[in-house]
Formats: sequence, C-alpha cells, structure tokens
Amino acid sequence: MLATLACAGAICGQQRSVKIGFVGPLTGDQASIGLDELQAVHLAVDEANRKGDVIPGCRLEVVALDDQHTPAQAVAMAKRLAADRAVIAVIGHVNSSCTLAAAPVYQRARLVQISPSSTNPEISRKGFDTFFRTCATDDIQGPQAAEFAIRKLGARKVCVIDDKTTYGKEIADRFEVRAKELGASVLLHESIVQGEKDFSPLLTRIKALGPDLIFFGGMYPEGALLVRQAKGLGLKAKWLGPDGLYVPAFIDLAKDAAEGVCCTFVGADVSGVDSAREFLNAYTKKYGTIGPFAPHAYDAARIVIDAVRRAGKVDRKAVLEEVRRTNDFPGVLGRMGFDGNGDTTLRLISVFEVRNGRFRYLGPARQ
Amino acid sequence: MSSGDVENLGTGRAGPLRAGWAALCLLLLAIPLVDRNDYHLDTLVNTGIFAILVLGLNVITGWCGLLNLGHSAFFAAGAYAYALLNARLGLPFWVCLPASTAAAALLGLAIGSCVFRLRGDYLALVTLGCGEIVRIALTNLDRVTGGPNGLIVAHPAVAVPWGRWEFGIRSVPYYYLTLAAVWLTVSISARLERSGFGRAWTAVKEDEVAASCTGINAASLKVLAFVIGAAMAGLAGWLFAGKQGFVSPESFDFVTSIMVVSMLVLGGLGSIGGALVGAAALTIVPELLRPVQEYRMFLFGAVLIVMMLFRPQGLLGGVRLAQEMRPETERVRQEEDETLAEDVRT
Amino acid sequence: MTPLEAFCQQVINGLAIGMIYALIALGYTMVYGVIQLINFAHGEVFMMGAFLGLTVFGAFAGGAWQGNSLVLAPMFIAGMAGCGALGVAMERVAYRPLRASPRLAVLITAIGASFILQNLMMFVWGPCDRSFPGFFSGAGLDLGVVRVTAMQGFIIASSVAMMVGLQVFVTRTMTGKALRAASEDMVAARLMGINVDRVISICFFIGSGLGGAGGILYGMYYNTITFHDGYLAGIKAFTAAVLGGIGSLPGAMVGGIVLGMGEGMAAGYLSSEWKNVFTFAVLLVLLLCWPSGVLRKARHE
Repeated sequence: MLATLACAGAICGQQRSVKIGFVGPLTGDQASIGLDELQAVHLAVDEANRKGDVIPGCRLEVVALDDQHTPAQAVAMAKRLAADRAVIAVIGHVNSSCTLAAAPVYQRARLVQISPSSTNPEISRKGFDTFFRTCATDDIQGPQAAEFAIRKLGARKVCVIDDKTTYGKEIADRFEVRAKELGASVLLHESIVQGEKDFSPLLTRIKALGPDLIFFGGMYPEGALLVRQAKGLGLKAKWLGPDGLYVPAFIDLAKDAAEGVCCTFVGADVSGVDSAREFLNAYTKKYGTIGPFAPHAYDAARIVIDAVRRAGKVDRKAVLEEVRRTNDFPGVLGRMGFDGNGDTTLRLISVFEVRNGRFRYLGPARQ
Repeated sequence: MSSGDVENLGTGRAGPLRAGWAALCLLLLAIPLVDRNDYHLDTLVNTGIFAILVLGLNVITGWCGLLNLGHSAFFAAGAYAYALLNARLGLPFWVCLPASTAAAALLGLAIGSCVFRLRGDYLALVTLGCGEIVRIALTNLDRVTGGPNGLIVAHPAVAVPWGRWEFGIRSVPYYYLTLAAVWLTVSISARLERSGFGRAWTAVKEDEVAASCTGINAASLKVLAFVIGAAMAGLAGWLFAGKQGFVSPESFDFVTSIMVVSMLVLGGLGSIGGALVGAAALTIVPELLRPVQEYRMFLFGAVLIVMMLFRPQGLLGGVRLAQEMRPETERVRQEEDETLAEDVRT
Repeated sequence: MTPLEAFCQQVINGLAIGMIYALIALGYTMVYGVIQLINFAHGEVFMMGAFLGLTVFGAFAGGAWQGNSLVLAPMFIAGMAGCGALGVAMERVAYRPLRASPRLAVLITAIGASFILQNLMMFVWGPCDRSFPGFFSGAGLDLGVVRVTAMQGFIIASSVAMMVGLQVFVTRTMTGKALRAASEDMVAARLMGINVDRVISICFFIGSGLGGAGGILYGMYYNTITFHDGYLAGIKAFTAAVLGGIGSLPGAMVGGIVLGMGEGMAAGYLSSEWKNVFTFAVLLVLLLCWPSGVLRKARHE
C-alpha cells in the first residue's frame, strides 16, 4: 500500500497537476454554449479535487482554450494541447465543424477527446479512435422526435424549421424524413439564420398553412423568439424541438409563450435522478442559469476523471484505454458507455413539456 | 520596403536592405530545425497565410487607395475552389492552385468592375456587402458547398520513391510551403511596386483626374488592383484549405476581413514589409495574450483607432503617407467633398 | 387566413420594425449630412441603448416598479442620454482629430470604434442572449384575422412622436437651423458665426440618442438582445438612410419604413434564409445606381 502510494507520488511528483483540456468557443456568438460547458467541466473537476481521490497527491487542472468557433483556431488549440505533455484528456470541441477539424490532431497525439455537443453523425464514422462523445447524434433524435409527434401527438400536418447549422439542419432533415415515412404531410421546410430576431414573415406564412405541429431544429435563443412571435400572431400549433430547447433559459426568454412546448432530450429525466439533481443545484447555485449541454460536459469530465482514477497514472495511452472501456457509467444523463465508434450508448430519448413554467417529463420518445 | 526604398534601390543603399532580407529568409528557413513545437510552427503558418492576405489587400487598399472590407470573399473563393474540385471531383491539391487563384481573380474582377466608379466610403460599404453576400451564399447553398457543415478536403500529398507522402497535420511541411508562397507573393509585390503599375496606382490614388490626363485609364487600373489583390487572397485560400483539411463559411466572415485591414493599417498602408510585420504582430500577439483572451478582439479595434489617431502611416509606412493621412490643412478634405458633390449632381 | 389577410399582417409587422430602422437611420443620416462620415459605430450605439435600458430596468426591478410601465420613462431617459453622451464622446476622441484627414482614415477609425464597442458590450453584459422585459403583455387589437399588438402600436406611436419632435427641432429652433446650415455648407456656416464644433456635437448627441431609443424599442419588441445584433441592424439602417437619400431626415424615416416592409415581404414571400442577402443586395444596387437615394436628392434639401 505504501509502495503504491510512493509510486503514485513519484509519478505525480514531477508534475503536481494533471491537466484536462477544454476547447470551445469562449468568445463570439457561440460563446454562451462554450462557457456553459466549461463551467460544468470546472464543477466536475472541483468536486474531484475536493475529494482528492483521483491520483493521490495530484491536483486536477482545467486548461481552457478558445477556438472562437473557427476550425483554424480549433486546430491551433488542439496542437497546443497536444504539445503539452501534462494534458491527458480533452473535453471538446463544442461545434461539430471544430471537432472535425481538430480530431486528426488528437488522433495523432493519442490524446482522448470527448465532445459534449458535437452531434454531427459523420465525425464518429471517420475512424478516429481517440474520439468519443456524450451526446446522441442527430440521426437518433430527429427520427424519434418524429415518432413522438405523429404517434403520440397525432400530428398529421407539420411544418419544419431549421437554423441552418450542422446541428439543427441535421435533426430537422431526419425529422422530416421519418415524419413522411409515418404518413404525415410536411407542408413547409424553411431555414432561418442564427442570430436573426424577426420571424414574423415566416410565421405569418406558416399560420396561413394551418399545421398541427411545428418542429424547430435549433437552439433556444431562436426557439424562444419563434414561439413568442407565433403566440403574438395567434398561431395555434404545437411546438416540438430538440435538446437545444431543453434549458431554463428557453422558458426565461419565451415566458408564457413556452407553455405547451415540447422538446426531446438525450437521456432520462435528469431531475428525477438524485445525482443529477445535485448537479443541477450545484451548477445553478454557482453559475446561474444552466445551458443545454452542461450535463453532457459534466458527464464527459467525470468520465475522464474516472478513467484517470482507474488508470492510476498520468499517461495518455492509459487514460485513452480506460475511457474506451467505460461501461455503464452512472452519469447525470443516465447510465452510459461508448460503442465501437465512440458514440454514446445512451440512445434513450425523452420528451419534456413545459407546464406552468417548468419542464415536465412526459415519457420516452419512441412509442 | 516602403515607397521610399524604391529610390534607394537605385542609389546603392540597397545593399544593406538586400542583406537584411536575405538574413531574414535564412532565419525563417532555419526555424523548424530549432523549434519543433507544432503549435509554434502552426502559428507561423497562420501568420504566413495572413501575410499573403495582407499583401493582396495592400495592392487594393494600400497602393490603389480603395478600402476593401470584403477581402475574406476572395479568401473564400480560393479555399472553396479547391474544396469543390477536391471533394466533388477528386482533384489533388497541387493541380488546383491555378483554379483557386483564377476563381478569386474572377471574383475580384466582378467586384472591381462594380465598384471602380465609387468613392471612398461607398466603395467600402459595397465591398462589405459583397463579402457578406458571398458568406451567406456559401452557408445557404448547402447542396453545393456543404452549407454550415462545410467540406472535408484532402491534405497535400507528394509522390515519393516509396509511394505517396501526405502532409497530414504535421506543421513542418506547411511551414515551408507557406514560406515559399509568401516569398513568391513578396517578390511579385515588389516587382509590381517598382513597375509602371505601381506608379500608376499611386498616381490614381493621389489625384485621379490628373492621372487620367496623363493617359492612365483609372478604371482599368482599379479593376486590375482588385484582380491582383484577389488572386493573392486566392492563393492564401488554397493554402488554408489544404492545411486545415476542411472549409466552412465561418472562417470567411466580416471579422476576418477586418483583421486583415487591421494588419495592413498596423504595418503601414502601401508597405510590403509593413504587411509582413502587421500580419506577424496581429497573429502572434493574440496567441501570447491567451491568458487574457477575452481582450483579444479589443486589440484589433484598438489598433485601428490608435494607428489612425497617432501613427496613420503604420509601423513601416513612409512619411509621405503620414502627411496624406493627417494633413495640416483642410484642403484634402475639401477636395474630396467637392468631388463627392460632383458625383451626386451628375 | 386569406392571402390578403396574410399580406396585411406582413405589412403591419414590417411597419413596426421599419420604424425602428428609421430611428437608427436618422442617426446615420444626421451625421453624414454634417460631416460626410458613415458612422460605422452607430449600430453598436443602438445596441448599447438596449443594454443601458436593460440595466436601468434591472435597477428598478423587484421594487415597487415591478410590472409597472412607468419604468419605461427612466429606461428611455437613461438609454437616450447615455447613448447621446457616448456619441459625443466618440466624436471628440476618434473623429474630431481626423477632421482634415481623407475619408478613408475616418472610416477606418469608425470601424475600430465599432469593434471596440461591440466587444465592450460582450465583456460587460456577457456573450449570452439577454432577456429584455416585455411590456403590454401581448395585448393587441384584432382586426379580423390580422393582429396589431399593443407593442407594435407603441413602437409606431413613439417613433412618430420622436420624428415629429426632431422635425420641429430642426425647422423651428435656432440650433436646429444651425444644424441644417452646417449640413448644407459647412464653410458658409462657419463664416456666419455658427459654432461648428458645437453643432457637430449636438448632431451626434441627437442622432445617437435616437439610436438608443431605437435600441430600447428593439429590446421591448424582440425580448432578447445580444451584443452582436448591432452590426446587422446598423447595416440595414444605413441602407434605409441611403434609400431615402443620405443627409435627408424625412428620407431616413421613409427609407426605414420602406426597408422594413420590403424585408418582411422578401422573407415572407421569397425566403427567410436569404432575407439578409436581400438587404445587402438593395444596399449594393443603391450605392451603385442611386447613391443619392431613390426618393430624394441629398444635396438639394
């Protein structure tokens, strides 16, 4: 026992801190998502440092870098982290385009990369064995959302809106395909631009078509504006969206227009799980409003920390191996592991509805 | 090399200057042998790419005096030309260089032909509009361009005795490739500056009416400036796409255009050496400022204001430029106002 | 909803946003009229108005003012005065030293100022979308299927009031007349004893103040504000100013409304995602073909 401690101490002695890298947009228009995830990672790391049981004598440290939502910067930051031998894992990146650009760098450096929010299905099919992610890909959420909309809600006529991003468009496209398969008619599929404020022209057009349900593939800022302006116009259709809407900020921004809006989410009912509730409370107490991918980032960080603990040494290859072996890990999203491609095994999609200003769990999406 | 050095070259004071350039070249060639840090080399590669962009903008804005706020559109043209040829038709990197430069030059021709009649600020706004339209088109035409997802492209590869060696994501090969490209662009710029074109551009910038009287076709010169500046940006785009292995519209936005303008202003409008210095300063310094990275964007805005207020000729610009930018009398401005009023009346 | 009703709804929506564009456009046109500068940073000043209004609201929130529309008064005062002061400060620091410089130099400075302001906003108020309070809680007037919300009515009414006020100021008061004189002919105005520096400062103050008011209306209408909204809104408003004839106040007002409605029509009948391209295309066509404005000739005001 003493010998092990001494060994561990000796390994760590050369470097007091073990670094976990985080790369995401910390400035620019995607900064809110990046900061959100970074804060969740900090939370996980602080908790682990308080317990102090990861590797005796070692402190975990987060190295946060800004990729400005630019693939060129993403590569530069990835190289920077790869060059720093004290970095044994990276949580990143946030946007699919940046993750894709940086993945070859981590691959070459044998540095494990876990993305909390890059949902483009293509990334895990490129053969990067250092790539993992804790978020479900768009080819899972989209179709299941369609199943919920048509089988459970009974929608016959739907309109689809997407925000042109990798995330939103993919989900919306998959939703449309599945919805058509299930016999619904898609009256309209239009794109909006992120950062845009005024959707009344589009919504007026949709109102004239009279759909039962509108599916919005995108994030909460535009989602909130859409439902609010729809309400202002008197547009009476059910709204359904992906996990980009599943945040308190959505309800904050949309106010009473959020009532009745449904959204899907990767994982089980987070508020129903005790450990998840602890996480939610801790996050909101320290940082305020929580973002859509904070739980994913938190789980990613905890998986890394757990892997480091299991590996017992500050070595990239060992940590990589342990992450790969992650199985049935109790995350706040649910019990998860990684499949052969690095995708999360958590394929359960839940649906939530906003009732009385809060999200209420409705059930699984797949009927 | 500011405009003052053109005279110097004739008088034999060029010796120390040439030696200086030679020393710099040797130093740059030697860096990867000394510093094997991939991140450092990567930063230098980015510096080189921006340097080519700034040199291109220098032709349009520095020499011809046309403020171009949409330079990233030319950058995008070069990058996407390669991306489309590679991703859709499988053409290799080296073959696409002419296509990238040509695509960008064509775009330069198109935009230049539209704006050559305009003055100062209106011209700037139109170039801004063109830049934005290009970016939005790249995002919206997703069937062709891959939209916000972008396109994945192959890295450059060379045929070697034992098969094929791909550059991959190592920084060293890109470093030398970029160095060669920068050297090429600098040589072309220097030659242009010394040539009849260079003098004609200066004449058009100073006084277009007088220049026309000497037989200079101001319109075609302006368009030519756009074409050449754009072609250089296209070269930078080609390099950028090959290095990154990936193109997406977000790399070619208004902020990028402004960054290039900042670098040119910092280095000195019209100065080739200034272009290099500006690019180096505003690529490397932000990296050094990583600990306070929230302030990084402040830097570009501050550079523009501080330079214009206190040193409008930039770090390496000539004294003449300083006098042009901060004249003692209102005469320059009055002349501008008069020409503007004429335009409005006609 | 019949096509005609849909059309009418689009018109009303466009009118509301058009008024906001008009307020911002006035700022551009006033400054351009006097010193022929495209104040690139004006879009950011507009956004700053929204953030200042939000901060003032935050200061009053939770007290006796909760839910009371009277809080609008301090919000508007703070927003307009704050932006006015900001405009004057910018002019003193960044533009005045370059009065004699070629326009290129000043434009570059304006771009730098715009960048700094935008990042300042991001720095102070954070990068996330901020929720701006709503007023009038969705009340509205239903004219058949077409709906005019109280918010839209308020925007239209207050914008018209401000524009009328401005027109009165410019035509009836001495300072206003001095302003008009300076935009006609700066040299002559100076010779007539008009304190040109003061006139320019007032011009910036009023123009920026109106922009600030526009910002608060914008916040109230859309209920979310972000630090980078100013850039696009600024370009659209500038397009509106050129449309109506740069330098002409009534032109800016009309240009704003026309652009707002045109944009709404394009988004409603053509395509939402190309909406901004429509605006940029209008700007390009205007600057290339009708630089003095389609509606009026700038110099002959």
